[in-house]
Amino acid sequence: MIETTAAPFPTIRVRPWLGRLAVASSLIATFMALVWAPTDAVQGDVYRIIYVHVPLAWLAYLAFFVVFLASLGWLWTRRPWFDALAVASAEVGVLFTGMFIVAGSIWAKPTWGVWWTWDPRLVTTAVMFMMYVGYLLLRSLSTDFSRRATRAAVIGVIAVIDIPIVHLSVLWMNSLHQLPTVLRAGGSPSLDAAMGMTLGISVIAFTFVYLAFLAERMSIELERQRRMLEARA
Amino acid sequence: MIENLGFIAAAYLLVWGGIVVYLISLRRRRERAQRPRT
Repeated sequence: MIETTAAPFPTIRVRPWLGRLAVASSLIATFMALVWAPTDAVQGDVYRIIYVHVPLAWLAYLAFFVVFLASLGWLWTRRPWFDALAVASAEVGVLFTGMFIVAGSIWAKPTWGVWWTWDPRLVTTAVMFMMYVGYLLLRSLSTDFSRRATRAAVIGVIAVIDIPIVHLSVLWMNSLHQLPTVLRAGGSPSLDAAMGMTLGISVIAFTFVYLAFLAERMSIELERQRRMLEARA
Repeated sequence: MIENLGFIAAAYLLVWGGIVVYLISLRRRRERAQRPRT
């Protein structure tokens, strides 16, 4: 039995504020990243790409972990709200992953001398990207809501395995990619204080962007679900 | 003169451009979702 999604969506009042917070924090973060943060002693100014590359990567991990939790929620309760959360988070996660891969590629050219190399971190990230693109494509294969949501949820639960593989790939295998600088086991972040603060503000800004996109995309999905169930009735 | 300015500008334009394009896509999808069915 599928419950209707006509219940009020709790983020409706929050959404305009999320958008404003996202814009304001993004402006501050961009100023800090491009002007305020000091130049790196080794890489020079090109390292400033870190302030978009790393937050997008972390938020993509979070987005896919939310897909995992929402998929479990659907399988457990069969509430369409969880399916809307899963598809919204997967879509934003794919967008962020695509952008951090390309931003990383732009950073790689002046530092490594190549746009792309078959490095473990890059390959596992590309696999993660393809898995979630596949997740979104899979959803278009069935018009039956319940079947589509269940198939997608199974993929959403399995695909999360790649997140720790991506993060730890640089420790498990010889890699050209930099080792974890902030999220590293048994040690404090090996980052200058001003750089660390700029990275922190950038992470906060992209978190607001993620939440604003998630709320908007989820609201659209709930509207679609409501119409679909109305049409069926 | 900032070195590698082109690479930095390209990365930031790509990211913020991508975010704006996705925002426009969401707005269009919302309009479509709210449009009365004929």
